[in-house]
Amino acid sequence: MRVVIAEDAAVLRELLAQMLVERGHEVCATVGDADALRAAVAEHRPDVTVVDIRMPPSHTDEGLRAAIDIRREHPGTGVLLFSQYVETKYATRLLSDGSAGVGYLLKDRVANVAEFTDALARVAGGGTALDPEVVTQLAGASRRAAELTPLTARERQVLSLMAEGRSNAAIAQTLVVSAGTVEKHVAAVFDKLGLPASHDANRRVLAVLRYLRG
Amino acid sequence: MTGKLITMHDTSPVSAPLREPGSARTRAAALLRAPLTRRAWAEAAYCLAAFPLGLAGGVLLAVLLALGAGLTVSLVGAVIGVLVLVGCVRLARGLGALHRGLAAGLLGERVPGPVPSRPGSGVLGRLDARLRDGAGWRATAYVLVKLPMSALGMYAVLWWLTGLTNVTAPLRWGVFGQDTGSGDVGGMPVLTPIPVGSLEVRTFAGTFAALALGLALLLLAPWATRLVVEADRRLLRALLGPGHLADRVRDLEETRALAVDDSVALLRRVERDLHDGAQVRLVAVAMSLDMIKERLDEADDGSRGGSEHPAGPGPKPGTGPDATSPSLDLARVRQLVDVAHHNATEALTELRDLARGIHPPVLDDGLPDALATLVARSTLPVELATDIPRRPTPAIETIAYFCAAELLTNVIKHSNAERAAITVTEETEGGVGVLRLRVTDDGRGGADVGAGSGLIGLTQRVRTVDGRLRVHSPDGGPTEVTVELPLHA
Repeated sequence: MRVVIAEDAAVLRELLAQMLVERGHEVCATVGDADALRAAVAEHRPDVTVVDIRMPPSHTDEGLRAAIDIRREHPGTGVLLFSQYVETKYATRLLSDGSAGVGYLLKDRVANVAEFTDALARVAGGGTALDPEVVTQLAGASRRAAELTPLTARERQVLSLMAEGRSNAAIAQTLVVSAGTVEKHVAAVFDKLGLPASHDANRRVLAVLRYLRG
Repeated sequence: MTGKLITMHDTSPVSAPLREPGSARTRAAALLRAPLTRRAWAEAAYCLAAFPLGLAGGVLLAVLLALGAGLTVSLVGAVIGVLVLVGCVRLARGLGALHRGLAAGLLGERVPGPVPSRPGSGVLGRLDARLRDGAGWRATAYVLVKLPMSALGMYAVLWWLTGLTNVTAPLRWGVFGQDTGSGDVGGMPVLTPIPVGSLEVRTFAGTFAALALGLALLLLAPWATRLVVEADRRLLRALLGPGHLADRVRDLEETRALAVDDSVALLRRVERDLHDGAQVRLVAVAMSLDMIKERLDEADDGSRGGSEHPAGPGPKPGTGPDATSPSLDLARVRQLVDVAHHNATEALTELRDLARGIHPPVLDDGLPDALATLVARSTLPVELATDIPRRPTPAIETIAYFCAAELLTNVIKHSNAERAAITVTEETEGGVGVLRLRVTDDGRGGADVGAGSGLIGLTQRVRTVDGRLRVHSPDGGPTEVTVELPLHA
């Protein structure tokens, strides 16, 4: 993967770059603010960018705004936002024009390097990577939260993992069950919520998110 | 300045009461001694000194007011008239400050100034604020009333002068003879403060009658000046002081807003510091540890995989002769451990600084201990003197501590000073306990509350508890900043 990193804390920026390079990825540029990020993406056309939401000068949402611009101007570049906190409003804004090539993770998730790189690869490949927190918040804010009650605990888990953007295989691995079991759960979830069944992870995320936001 | 510090009655000998309790004899002695007390002289001096200021200021203001009012009424000059009126209020405030200074200097009557007028926004807003400046209009009233008052004061001084003149009558007779230089052949005139027709003495013996009259006048003169001065004191307090309930309410509204803003700003700063500091550091620590873990896992797998080959009994990764087994890159692991360790240490330091920034634990042991620690940590030699017999409430201690810390930081950052001193005393002023913090340095001076300095923030924080902050910092130094706080918030 060719990656651009935008993060204002130098400590984390350097460590992220080191980690990605060690795993054989190419880090085209590391920057500390949103304007530099826009310029770097325009210059390098990376597969994916890692973007801190709070960056100078105002330390509010300049990362998010830059991410939305990048998605519009460079559709081929995946955007993985990461932040100390998950804000429902930010997630909604980010996902408002589709969930392909989008990720939103808590910064804490880099503590699991392998999962973080997986998520990054998913976003680079046009997939989705949403933090469980994001999914929980979206579900909590959903007007249709009550409709989720008929789901069993296991089915809710599967729904969350689907919303996070994971494939059936990944879900099976996470829950330590067989792929067949996961398929059954997925089918049950779609059935109970009245959603069209789909095996494509990305379209599935879209459906689930649309459902949750509805 | 507000309620808690306003009643600062002077207890110096200047205003020591003339009427001491006791027998009739001591009372009579006190009456006889009255003209010789410092207080009586100070009051006479005050009447004398306040006369030109009262006269000139009163006349000037009366003329300007009449002009302003006249112009305002006429349609043509309304705008100019209003501006003149605004000018009058400002002028009255200035004159009021001069009168306050005079009273403080000569009478020891320290009346704290009124709260500054509200700034107001926009041209009309500012004009409105100036015209509604209650304290300014009260000062105007004072200056106008002071006009006849200073004339009365001058008249009271006349009692002293006539008394003194008459007392010297025998001496003048002896030196100059009967002719007093008036050229007019007749008796030596005897002066009285109350017109009683022309009195004169024609014999040397008669001059002693004049002397007696002079002595009597001198005995009465202190009471004449006292009367005027007492009336003036009342006016001063009523009209030039911090004033009425409305002002107090406005002041409280303002300071409450400041207090709320202050705490919000503090919380935001804490959040920002955590976000940019310890949180990032800890994420980096976790990330480094995970990277190390991955390497260890790989090395584990490698050595386990390698052990299927006859690679020797030593399970130690990286040392085995088997080149196919992935070895542990010790140098890289050590580097990652170093990074993790460094970030963990930094996180600890940042958290400690942050915690101390919120509330220094040593402050629980009292201000002197906390300041001693502060001074010991300073990069500049600081002399510390504390005398705090009665302990202030924790809120006051905290504010005093942060004032001292901030002022010391200012000294180190801006003043170029070679040494500084911090003095904290607890005093009683008018029956109210006051904590006074004084930070001085030998630097280049020029500190200004308005010049975008941290002093504004401090002033605001101090105001939230009815305290005040004063800066004396001429160009070239030295700088002295005084913070006065009530003992109880």
